[in-house]
Amino acid sequence: MDYNQYSFYDGVIWMNVDQLANRLRNDNLFMENVVRWEVLPAREAAYADFPDALDKRLLPVLQKRGIHRLYTHQAHSIRATAEGKDVVVVTPTASGKTMCYNLPVLSSILNNDDARALYLFPTKALSADQVSELYELIEEMGVNIKTYTYDGDTPAAARRAVRQAGHIVVTNPDMLHSGILPHHTKWVKLFENLKYIVIDEIHTYRGVFGSNLANVLRRLMRLCEFYGSKPQFILCSATIANPKELAETLIGRPVELIDDNGAPMGIRHFVFYNPPVINRQLGIRKGVIPEARAISTMLLKNGIQAITFARSRLTVEVLTRYLKDEVRDPLGNAGRVRGYRGGYLPTERREIERGLRAGQVDAVVSTNALELGIDIGALDACVLCGYPGTIASAWQQAGRAGRRKETSIVFFIASSAAVDQYIITHPDYFLHQSPENALLNPDNLYVLLSHFKCSAFELPFEDGDRFGNTPAPDELMEYLADSGILRHVDGRYHWSAEDFPASEISLRSAASENFLIVDITDPAKHRIIGEMDRFTAPMLLHENAIYMHEAQQYQVEKLDFDACKAFIRRVDVGYYTDADLNISLGLLDIEQQQERTDGSRRLLTEVKVTSLVTMFKKIKFDTHETLGFGHVRLPETTMHTTAVMWTLPEKLTAQFDNDTLQCGMLAVANLLRIVAPLYLMCSPQDVAVVYQVKSPMTDEPTLILYDNCPGGVGLAHKAYSMQNMLMEKALEIASDCPCPYGCPSCTGPVGEIGDQGKVAAIRLLKGMLEAEA
Amino acid sequence: MVLNLRDKLKAVDNAAGRTAAAKKTFTDCWHKTSLHPLEEFPHAFHLSPETLMLMQGEDMPPDLDPRRILYLDTETTGLSGGAGTVAFEIGLGYLTDEGFVIQQLVMRDYPEERYMLSRTAALLEDFDVICTFNGKSFDIPLLRDRLIMNRMDATVLDLPHIDLLHIARRVFKLRLKRCNLAHLEEAVLGMPRTDDLPGSEAPQRFFSYLKTGAFDLLIPVLEHNEQDVASLCVLLGHMAHMYEAPEEQKHEEDLFSMGVALEKLHHHEEAQRCYRLSSFGKMRSQGQLHLAAACRRCGNKREAVSLWEDMARRKEGGIVPLIELAKYYEHTARDIPKAMTLTRQAMMMLAEPKLAMDDKTVQEQRNAVQYRYKRLKEKLSKLKE
Repeated sequence: MDYNQYSFYDGVIWMNVDQLANRLRNDNLFMENVVRWEVLPAREAAYADFPDALDKRLLPVLQKRGIHRLYTHQAHSIRATAEGKDVVVVTPTASGKTMCYNLPVLSSILNNDDARALYLFPTKALSADQVSELYELIEEMGVNIKTYTYDGDTPAAARRAVRQAGHIVVTNPDMLHSGILPHHTKWVKLFENLKYIVIDEIHTYRGVFGSNLANVLRRLMRLCEFYGSKPQFILCSATIANPKELAETLIGRPVELIDDNGAPMGIRHFVFYNPPVINRQLGIRKGVIPEARAISTMLLKNGIQAITFARSRLTVEVLTRYLKDEVRDPLGNAGRVRGYRGGYLPTERREIERGLRAGQVDAVVSTNALELGIDIGALDACVLCGYPGTIASAWQQAGRAGRRKETSIVFFIASSAAVDQYIITHPDYFLHQSPENALLNPDNLYVLLSHFKCSAFELPFEDGDRFGNTPAPDELMEYLADSGILRHVDGRYHWSAEDFPASEISLRSAASENFLIVDITDPAKHRIIGEMDRFTAPMLLHENAIYMHEAQQYQVEKLDFDACKAFIRRVDVGYYTDADLNISLGLLDIEQQQERTDGSRRLLTEVKVTSLVTMFKKIKFDTHETLGFGHVRLPETTMHTTAVMWTLPEKLTAQFDNDTLQCGMLAVANLLRIVAPLYLMCSPQDVAVVYQVKSPMTDEPTLILYDNCPGGVGLAHKAYSMQNMLMEKALEIASDCPCPYGCPSCTGPVGEIGDQGKVAAIRLLKGMLEAEA
Repeated sequence: MVLNLRDKLKAVDNAAGRTAAAKKTFTDCWHKTSLHPLEEFPHAFHLSPETLMLMQGEDMPPDLDPRRILYLDTETTGLSGGAGTVAFEIGLGYLTDEGFVIQQLVMRDYPEERYMLSRTAALLEDFDVICTFNGKSFDIPLLRDRLIMNRMDATVLDLPHIDLLHIARRVFKLRLKRCNLAHLEEAVLGMPRTDDLPGSEAPQRFFSYLKTGAFDLLIPVLEHNEQDVASLCVLLGHMAHMYEAPEEQKHEEDLFSMGVALEKLHHHEEAQRCYRLSSFGKMRSQGQLHLAAACRRCGNKREAVSLWEDMARRKEGGIVPLIELAKYYEHTARDIPKAMTLTRQAMMMLAEPKLAMDDKTVQEQRNAVQYRYKRLKEKLSKLKE
C-alpha cells in the first residue's frame, strides 16, 4: 500500500491534530509533495453588547446558554434590521450566523403577536435543523411563538394550522413557488402581517436556481403589496466575492452588507499537496484518489474525525469503499465510515448527520452535498480530493474542519487536471484571490416568462404594473394576451386558461422530473434507493452502467426513460463504468457580432445544444485501466442557451494542414476551459467550450463557449464583453508552462493533442490576437 | 324544467352576449331567474333539523326553515384550484311557496366577477344554511378565494353547510361504488340525464365564449348547472326521507350503510333500527353482526346474545358470533365450560380445509382462538382447584 512509504503510518500510535501536523512537517518524504504549508492563525473573538433593539425577554435565555455578549456581526445585524434596513450577513461556517436572523425575528414577534416571518432554506434538511434550534429558544423563553415547517412532508391535517397560526413559517423555494404563492388566499394572515423574509445560504442561489428564486421573490413581493405588508429581508451567505450584488439582484433592492465577523477560530493548517509526477514526459502525476485514500486512512487510523470531499458521486463511492475496507471487522466498524451524496434518501442522510454530530461516524466521504450549512458539528480535518472548482466552494468545504478553540487541518490534494495544477502551483492566487462572483440573471427569458405567468395566475396584472425591476413588463403582458393565456379587459390582464402554471416549472433544473432508482435484487421486494435528475441520468444510469450506492455496486438492468425509472440489481464486479457524452450545436439567432480587420468575427448567439450519451468505458478498480466498451442507446436531451463564438481568420488557418489545425484548436479549447472559469468567476461546469474545424454555423473554423444552463445566466455575455482577454490568458498559460509539447496542466497531454498541438495552439492564439477590432 | 330556455337565451345572447367582450363599461353580470314547479321536489319541505342532525351530525339552526336553505353550485375555469381559478357561473336555488327558484349568474367577462359575487353575497344574507355537492372542498373555498381576491367580505360564506357528497357517499358507496351527482340522479332519484355536457368541459366552453363572444356556447353549461342545482334540492329531500322512513327503503346495502353512518355519529337507536331493517338478503349476516355489536355496546346484552345464538345456530357470520358468545359466557354468565365449547366450535370452523391455509388473517384468527382456548382451560383448572 502506498501510504506505508510515509513514516507517519504505523497504525499504532494515536496522534491528535497538533501532533500529526508536527510529525508530517518533519517527514521529508511527505513534505516533498507539499507545495505550501500555510498556517492560518487563530482569531480572537470580537464582542459587542446586546443592542437596545433586542427584546429583553431574550436575554435570560441567551445567558442560560452562556451567551453574555454577542459577536460584533450579530449585534450589527440586530441594529441594522431595527433601523428597517434589508441586510445580507456574510460569515464563515460556525460563526453563530443563525442568531443574526433569529434574534431580530423573535424580538419583533415578542413585541407584536401578529407579526409573521418567512424562512427560506435551499433544502428540506436545512429547514429541519433550523426549526429544532428555534424551538429550543422559544421553549426556554416559555412564550407562545409558533414555528412550523411547511414543505412536502407536512401532513395535510397540519397545514391548516400552519396557514392560520404559524408565526414563523419555514419552507424552501420550491414549496413557496408551487405550494404557497398560487394559494395565497389561504395565507391571508401571513401575507398581511409579514415582517421578515429570511433567506439563508443565498450563495447557493446562483445560475438557474438563483434566477428562479429572484422571480419567485418578485411574485411574493407583488402579493405582499396586494395584502398591504412591507417585509424586510435578512439574507445570509457563505463567503463569495459579491454577496451584496447577489443579494441585491435576488431581491431587487439595496441591502446593507454585514461582514464584521466576530467569532473566534482555532489555528488552521492548510496543506497544499501535489502528488508526485510519475511520467515526466507525459506530465502525468499519481492519481488523486490513491493519495486521498492514503491521507484519509491516516486520519481514520488516528481517530481524527474527518471529512473527505470528492468531486463526483463516483469518486465518493470508490473512496468510501476503500476506507470501509480499512476498518472492516466483525464488530461492524465499517459503519464508522460513511458515504454521503445527493441521491441518498433523506432518512439515510439524517442518520449520517446525527452519527457525525454524535461522534459515531469518524470518516465521511461526500460530494459538495455537505458543503451547505447542514449541521454536522465541526470536524478536526478535511481532505479535498481535487479542487472543487471554485474558490468559494473550496473555502466552504475547508470550513467543515475548524473548531473555535482546537487546531484543525485541511489537505488540498491536486489532481492532474489543469485547474488543479494552476491552483496548486499558485497557492497565493488561492489564498488571496477573492472568491467567485455568484451570477444570476432574473431576466433570463425562459425563467422570467414562466414566473410571469405564475404571477399573473396569482394576481391579475394591471396596465402599468411592474414585475420586480424587469424591463418592459407590459410587453410580456401583451405577449401573453396575444397568445390567449391572459385576457386584457378594462385595464387588467386576467389569467384565462385551465392550467396551473406553477406545476410546469422546476426551480432547480430545466427538467422537472427526477428518475427513481429501483433495486430489483429481491424480486419480491422492489426498493427505491435513490433518485437522480434528468440530465445526469443518461450518464450514470444507462443500461449496463455500474451504479454505486454506499459502496455497494449495482448494475443497471433497464432504464425506462418514459416512466423515469432505472432498475438496478446488486452485483460485485471489479470495475466501474464511465460514460462518454456527445454534444452538438445548432445556431438559433445572432444577437451581436463584431468583424475584425483580418475578417474574423466574434459573435454573441443563441444556440441549441443537443447532448447524447453513446458509449461507456469499463474501468478496473485500483489500476484504473480500461477493460472494455459498451454502447448506449438513449434519446438525446436538448437545451437553448447563449454562446459566444470566435471564428479563426482564413489567412491564419491556411498555414496549417487539417490535422494540425484540429489538434491546435483542441489545445486552444482545453486552454479556454481552464481560463474561462477563472476569469468569468464561475465553476467549471457552468460553462462549456467546444471547437469546430468547419462549423456548420459560421462556415469557418470556430471556437465556441456557451452558458451551460437553459437560457444562460449571463456568462456568454460576460465573455463576449471581455474582448481578447480570455485568449490572452490562454496564451499566457501555454507559453509559461515549461512542458515542450503539452501537458495536462496547459493544453492537454500529447496523447490527446498530438505532438504539434501545443505549438499550433500558440500560433493560433498569437494570430487571433494580432487582428484589431 | 323550463322547456324553452335555449330560445330565451338566444334572444338574450343577441341583445347582450355578443357584445360583452367589446363593451368597455361593466355595470352588472348576466343573470336569469327560473321557477320550477314544487311537484318536482317531493320531500323538500319536510326537512326537520333533527333529521339533518342524523344525516351529518353538525349543528343546524334549531328552527330551520327549508326555505332558508340556499342550494349552490358553481362552474369554474379550472379544477386545479389556486388563485387563478375563477368561478364564471354561480347557480343558486331556494324554495318558495310558489316553487323552486333558480338564479343563475354569469360573468360575461372578468370585470363582471365582482357584480356576480356581490349578488351572491347579498343573497346569502337571507339564508341560514348552504347546501352543495362537494362544496366543502371545492365551491365554497373557491368562492372564499374569489371574495378575498376582490377584497370583499368572505365571512358571508360562514354558514352551516350541508355537503351532500359526504352524506350520499356514506349511504350509497357500498351499493353504487361511484357517487357523482349525475350517477346518483340516475341510480337513486331515477332521473337519468340526457344530452348533458360533462362538467369537465365547462372551462373550455367559457374560454371559447370569451374568444368568440358567442354566448350560446354557454347554454349547455347553464343547462347542466341548472340541473345540478335542482338535483341538490331533490337529493336532500330524498335523503332526509330515507333517514325518516327507513322501512320504506328496499336496498339492504343502503340501510346497512345508513346504520354505520348513524352509529358513527352516535345515533345508536336509529342505527339499530337500520341494521334491523338491513338484515335480509345479502346483508343478512353483516347486518345482524353490526346489530348485535350495537346492542352490546348500548348494554342490551340479552338481545345481543340471542342474535349471536341465532347466528351460531344457522352457522352464519363466521366465527364472530361464537367468539362473542364465548366472551359472554366467560365474563357475564361465568360458564367457562360453555365458553370452551363455543371456542372449540370456532376452532373447528377455522380448520375447514376450504379456508386458504396460508391466508394471513385466517392464521392470525387461528392463533387468537387457540390462545383463548388455552386461557379458558387454565382458568377452568384454577377454578377447580
